[in-house]
Amino acid sequence: MFSKMTRKMTVIALATVLLSAAFLFAQGLDFSGRTNQPAGMDLSGTWYPQPGQDSGLITASGALVEYGGIPLNEAGRLYALAWSPSRIQGRQHQCMGYVPPYTYNQPGNLRFWEERDPYTQRLLAIKHYWQISEGTRTIWLDDRPHPSPYAQHTWSGFSTGKYEGNTLTVATTHLKRGWIRANGMPQSDEATLVEHFIRHGDRITYLSVVNDPVYLAEPFSRTYTLVRNQKEPDAWLYACDDGEQILGRREDQAESYFWGRHPFLREFADKNHIPLLATLGGPETMYPDLLDKLKDPAAADKAAQSELIPSPGALHASRAGDSLRDGEIHALPVQGGLYMLVGDGGNVAVQVGEQGAMVVNTGAGQLSDKVIAAIRNLSERPIQFIVNTSFHPDFTGGNVKLRAAGYDPSVVGSFFSGQFADAGQGATIIGHLNVQVRLTALKTPSEGWPSDTFVQARRRKFHNGEAVEILYQPNAISDSDSIVHFRRSDVIVTGDIFSTVSYPRIDAKTGGSIQGEIQALNNILDRTVYKHDEEGGTMIIPGHGRVCDEWEVAEYRDMLAIIRDRVADLIRSAANLDQVKAARVTADYDDRYGAVSGAWTTDMFVEAVYNSLKNPPKTASVN
Amino acid sequence: MRFALLIGIGVVIISGAHAQGRGAGRGEGRGGPPPTPKAGALYDITGYWVSVVTEDWRFRMVTPPKGVYTGITLNAEGRKIADAWDPAKDEAAGEQCKSYGAPATLRVPGRLRITWQDDQTLKMEADAGQQTRILHFDSAESGAGTWQGYSKATWEMVPVGRGVTPVGSLKVVTTRLKPGYLRKNGVPYSANAVLTEYLDRVNEPNGDAYLTVTTTVEDSTYLAQPFLTSSHYKKQPDSSGWRPSPCSAR
Repeated sequence: MFSKMTRKMTVIALATVLLSAAFLFAQGLDFSGRTNQPAGMDLSGTWYPQPGQDSGLITASGALVEYGGIPLNEAGRLYALAWSPSRIQGRQHQCMGYVPPYTYNQPGNLRFWEERDPYTQRLLAIKHYWQISEGTRTIWLDDRPHPSPYAQHTWSGFSTGKYEGNTLTVATTHLKRGWIRANGMPQSDEATLVEHFIRHGDRITYLSVVNDPVYLAEPFSRTYTLVRNQKEPDAWLYACDDGEQILGRREDQAESYFWGRHPFLREFADKNHIPLLATLGGPETMYPDLLDKLKDPAAADKAAQSELIPSPGALHASRAGDSLRDGEIHALPVQGGLYMLVGDGGNVAVQVGEQGAMVVNTGAGQLSDKVIAAIRNLSERPIQFIVNTSFHPDFTGGNVKLRAAGYDPSVVGSFFSGQFADAGQGATIIGHLNVQVRLTALKTPSEGWPSDTFVQARRRKFHNGEAVEILYQPNAISDSDSIVHFRRSDVIVTGDIFSTVSYPRIDAKTGGSIQGEIQALNNILDRTVYKHDEEGGTMIIPGHGRVCDEWEVAEYRDMLAIIRDRVADLIRSAANLDQVKAARVTADYDDRYGAVSGAWTTDMFVEAVYNSLKNPPKTASVN
Repeated sequence: MRFALLIGIGVVIISGAHAQGRGAGRGEGRGGPPPTPKAGALYDITGYWVSVVTEDWRFRMVTPPKGVYTGITLNAEGRKIADAWDPAKDEAAGEQCKSYGAPATLRVPGRLRITWQDDQTLKMEADAGQQTRILHFDSAESGAGTWQGYSKATWEMVPVGRGVTPVGSLKVVTTRLKPGYLRKNGVPYSANAVLTEYLDRVNEPNGDAYLTVTTTVEDSTYLAQPFLTSSHYKKQPDSSGWRPSPCSAR
């Protein structure tokens, strides 16, 4: 029984609630937590790609040289023409994941579900799992920014979305290099993606627009259809584990077709009565005007012939972005106790823990004070060890300042420390003996030379609670290279051996060679283990560029093996250096890694490959 | 008594306000007449559009060989018709436009010119095959089957809040079709076919605009299952490239 007063207050409270609700409804809001998701747009549930459309192109299907309707640029077409399906059998390719939008042209089931804030029930993200390659994707709806350009790329990329009526629009960056179609047509790791999921009842029309500055001449738009499963499917897994599929295959073998020698060039065209020109792709093959070009078969075939090899003319420079040269040092967490500092020449790796920081490489030395400040933000303890993976100034330029900022307590009070007045003052610099020899020859300040050198293949330490291996890589970039493996964190610092921004800076005059470089990359791959389908697991800090995993290293290795084989092929045909350069042996990779000016040009790289094949280094060391 | 009355008033207020929110922007619930389909269009569909042939390219950009029906679940009767495809016979019969009927028109590589014929009617002209589709927003009419049939159009609005620009799809249902081909190599649809389409416009950050076409063809005469496709067009700034051409049976 309410008292009169209680009843009056209840009436007032109830009226307030009702009127507030009326106001909110009038504003188009409700209490379901779906303020940005219109009714009927909940994608939750299971779906499958409608199998009728483009049914001949799913998974690793699609014929060789079936590129019609894809706006490939020259680099994209040449990459595809060089691709041999035998590469799928390489260890790192067998369990390669799939990137969107190709993901939606796969057989298998898809599941969408929502992630909501547990307290407000606001919609935070649409989660998405696909059976093919067991990929998981998150589409953030909370307006969070996209990660640093130096963050890791993944098969799913980083996606943010918003609802617009019956359409969920999604923007994606940070994708790995994947397929437009698994017949050799690449989608680069510079590609970005806009997608629209348009729902009509139990059907989603999916429009994707790929912008790829490396391999596409214009945006590639395409639709697929997803259909809601009428009953919960029971097949969700995609078992894949790599193994040795071709016995005796060399690790540095990357099968490819040299341009103009594709053994199945006309197979698809002839079988389907399609002029070769139309099958080679390019933006014109997406539009109806193509039909006019095909009316004169002789002219069309002549035009096709010119598209099978690199066009004459100037080399292409990389179209990849490199946007963190802003005079600041950016710290990215990598894995375990490892961080990567970007901004001062070569990347700096920092391991932190209970002991002093261990730093791999010191950058160019232009921003050393900021590098030191960034390290102090990560570790309260001073820099104890510095490892140099190379003598090159991009990696040793900050040696003097970073050493001076550090302190190595492990030598203070030991038996011999009394013989050195400066024992423990400054960090200890570790490097292969050749680093010290080269720096000495260059007459750099002696305070920046490694004081703790080694000549064996493997130097080891246990620091900050984990085993650290420093592994010498003979005749790679030079005669002084090492990689550093932090075993508990499972992070490998590659130094200049691996880069995501340029061809390797092979310095033949100081002992570098293409053979040693490829071997060094294989040595890295011998130590990596992926977590799932060529993603995660062992993480890689490159000399320049972004954080990676083994997939990018394998791609880089394959590229170098292919370029090496092309140059070797031309050398066997008695081609001289000018003729090799004129053949544009790097044309399918220049839009990603090439340079026509600056300290390391494509011409210089090709020359280094040519010279090291003509005159291979005889020794692994200058000693 | 006052307690129940207050609750009743509250419910009425909520219902009224909610109804206004759902119908905002199109005149519903405001007491005036509903806007015409043209005035109440959910998006601007007019102008020139070019087909971007990136779906089923090998079946659309070129005529597939006879007997290639990949992706279409023909029944036995449909297969029998398709296996008998003879383009010369179609030409002799003056039926070169069999693969340009409404279920195939928007899959043919070409350009569209879309205009409002009047407040209740959209006109969709295709240069390839010189076909014209008339999309009626008003009541149905009777008549004999034609290549383009009779198309009933509606704007299908997604409920959104008050003050938010209404959005949604153009839904088109087409019947009374003259039998024709889903693909140029003789894959048939019958006079009983029902074509349902959704047309949606999306705008890209770079300024491009696309028109997506989501299609279902139901035809128990020749198809074992509905035939689902999706296609898309890109907005053109002008009439460049608009080149009307006659139907071709080959």
